Amino acid sequence: MDLKSIALATSGLIALASTAAADPVELDLWTIDDPGEYHYVMADEFMAQHPDIKINVRTVQFEDMVNDLARGVATGDAPDITYIDNPEVALFASRGLLLDLKPYIEQSDIVNAEDIFPGPLSSVSYEGGIYGIPRGANTIALYYNADMYRAAGLDPDTPPRTWDELYEAAKVLTKPEDNVYGLAFSAVATEEGTFQFLPWLQMTGGNYDNVDTEGAARALSLWKKILDEGLASPDTLIRGQWDSTGTFNAGTAAMSISGPWELPRMSSEAKFDFRAALLPVPQEGADRASALGEGDNVILASTDNPDEAFLFLEFLYENMDRVWNDFGYLPASKVEVKDPKYPEIYAVFEESMKYARNRGPHPQWPRISKAIQTAIQSTLTGQATPEDALAAAQTSIDKILK
Amino acid sequence: MLTFTKPFRDGAGFDTVLVTLALGYLVLFSGFPLVYNLVMSFQEVDLFSLASFDRPYVGLDNYTDVLSRPETWGIFLNTVKFVGISVAAQLSIGFALAMFFQQNFPGSTWLRGLFLAGWIMPALVVGAVWSWILAGDFGVLNHVLMSLGLTSERIFWLSDPNVSLYSVILANIWLGVPFNMILLSVGLAGIPEDIYEAAEMDGANAVQRFFTITLPMMRAQLGAVISLGVIFTLQQFDLFAALTQGGPSNASNVFQYWSWQLSFQYYEIGVGSVISVLMILFVILVAAVYVRSTRHEHIA
Repeated sequence: MDLKSIALATSGLIALASTAAADPVELDLWTIDDPGEYHYVMADEFMAQHPDIKINVRTVQFEDMVNDLARGVATGDAPDITYIDNPEVALFASRGLLLDLKPYIEQSDIVNAEDIFPGPLSSVSYEGGIYGIPRGANTIALYYNADMYRAAGLDPDTPPRTWDELYEAAKVLTKPEDNVYGLAFSAVATEEGTFQFLPWLQMTGGNYDNVDTEGAARALSLWKKILDEGLASPDTLIRGQWDSTGTFNAGTAAMSISGPWELPRMSSEAKFDFRAALLPVPQEGADRASALGEGDNVILASTDNPDEAFLFLEFLYENMDRVWNDFGYLPASKVEVKDPKYPEIYAVFEESMKYARNRGPHPQWPRISKAIQTAIQSTLTGQATPEDALAAAQTSIDKILK
Repeated sequence: MLTFTKPFRDGAGFDTVLVTLALGYLVLFSGFPLVYNLVMSFQEVDLFSLASFDRPYVGLDNYTDVLSRPETWGIFLNTVKFVGISVAAQLSIGFALAMFFQQNFPGSTWLRGLFLAGWIMPALVVGAVWSWILAGDFGVLNHVLMSLGLTSERIFWLSDPNVSLYSVILANIWLGVPFNMILLSVGLAGIPEDIYEAAEMDGANAVQRFFTITLPMMRAQLGAVISLGVIFTLQQFDLFAALTQGGPSNASNVFQYWSWQLSFQYYEIGVGSVISVLMILFVILVAAVYVRSTRHEHIA
């Protein structure tokens, strides 16, 4: 008897005991939210409508989710429904651990796969199946401090549209004597670095499987130039998006590349006229691209109550129009958001969503992402030229993809 | 009570029970993980095959993989630097402090006790505090250095690849000094005072007394402190997590942190295990030195 079957037997006993004690169907839900946030609020509302279903919500730290889920699956202790960050869906789907929702969606009156934006839809699709429903989406854009624009003699109504304009603006806005950097972004050696860089690569025609391109080298050279000339803090290399944008809120960076999750804090901390613009493109008329973030609601293949679990997923999908105002992220499907908060910024992010592209999907995503992070970091620290760094990344990625 | 338990405690059976308990504990909690780790280093392991032994054997592939990666050599050198500089500095500062407090001035025992405060703090908290001190744009240290006119440009302690490893070493030295000091204080207290008095009467000066009495008498303690220092330094993980995450571009990465990154961030658990195995081999060597130096202590 191996570890797994012992665990299965034990959990079976527990399940037996609990069904004997209580009639309602119990669903275990793992989330990265804290009480008072999305999954907790939604579970309460759902239970009020469906007294026969009980949802047990458990918070798992974002960075622990993949490890905990894998452990849960190995010991037969996995939840029925969980949140997964979108690049990780393929990892679990490729192992047959997630329930294919396609047959359920085809029967559903509420979920229509065609209404889901292509980026989010591709993040839950794997080899013909649909393994989750996006709970929402986010993407990145360029925040800028309109007061600093005016002070520097720039027009806040025409934010930078191209990479060159971004560089020029950053240069004008950088004021070392006042401790102000022109731009804040993140080139940290984590998934966040990949998240920030990938759109730059995609705008020039590359993607995660094709990184050794002229456009990618151009993007990295620009990043390096921005750092070398002191237009962004050297800490950009070790700082995530949240901390980088913190410096924008504090008035020590004039522009910041980040996502809508910044808005609640920005509106309380930033004492200036902040605005947002689409990510600048390589040159006038070039293709747009943007990052795609947020995660998906998935059902584990091991669940005993797939129908009730899907009912809850439908309920979550039905409330997609509330995610911007109530929970701070963007809808992942075509819905109308009534009276959005920060309407101008919402409009920017809503348009940006059209260009948001998925990371992957690929079951080995963390390793692909690491190759990209390594290229970014070795270029920016001057250990390698952009061309060499990208060629090395391509070699690693080819090895993973083959 | 004593007379009642005596027959049990004297019997050979009781000895066997004691040995079995200790051995059982070691086998279960040290032996099994070590062997399991060794086995994993020869297998292709990911998150989902952690719970079963049924995994593809890949022979020495993981080992050749680790040794052929371009970053391996740099990370190895970082590890050597991290351990070497940390242990040397912790030991010399700790030894100096121990001798300082040995002077028995008023309040010396109290003050020595207070020095332990830094050691009691969890390394993650220490890391968080140091990350404020060492922050590039708004760090305390840069502010002090610039106010004193010692530097005109900010030093990016954590994000400059030429500096970041030394920043972690600095924090680690600070963290390890009290432990070294307290162990060495115990050793110093054990040297009989009359030896020093006799030497002083014979005309030996302070330096001579240090090299002919203190150092030789402290041999066992120094051996133990150095071995423990190496082992603790090789375990130092939290500071890396809190300060640099091994970055930028592996400039401050060391084996122990890299092993964790490979296993739990990139899910190449077999490869991460290889690094653990290599580190264990080295630690066994150091532990042997430690055991030798404590055995010496018992004989003395």
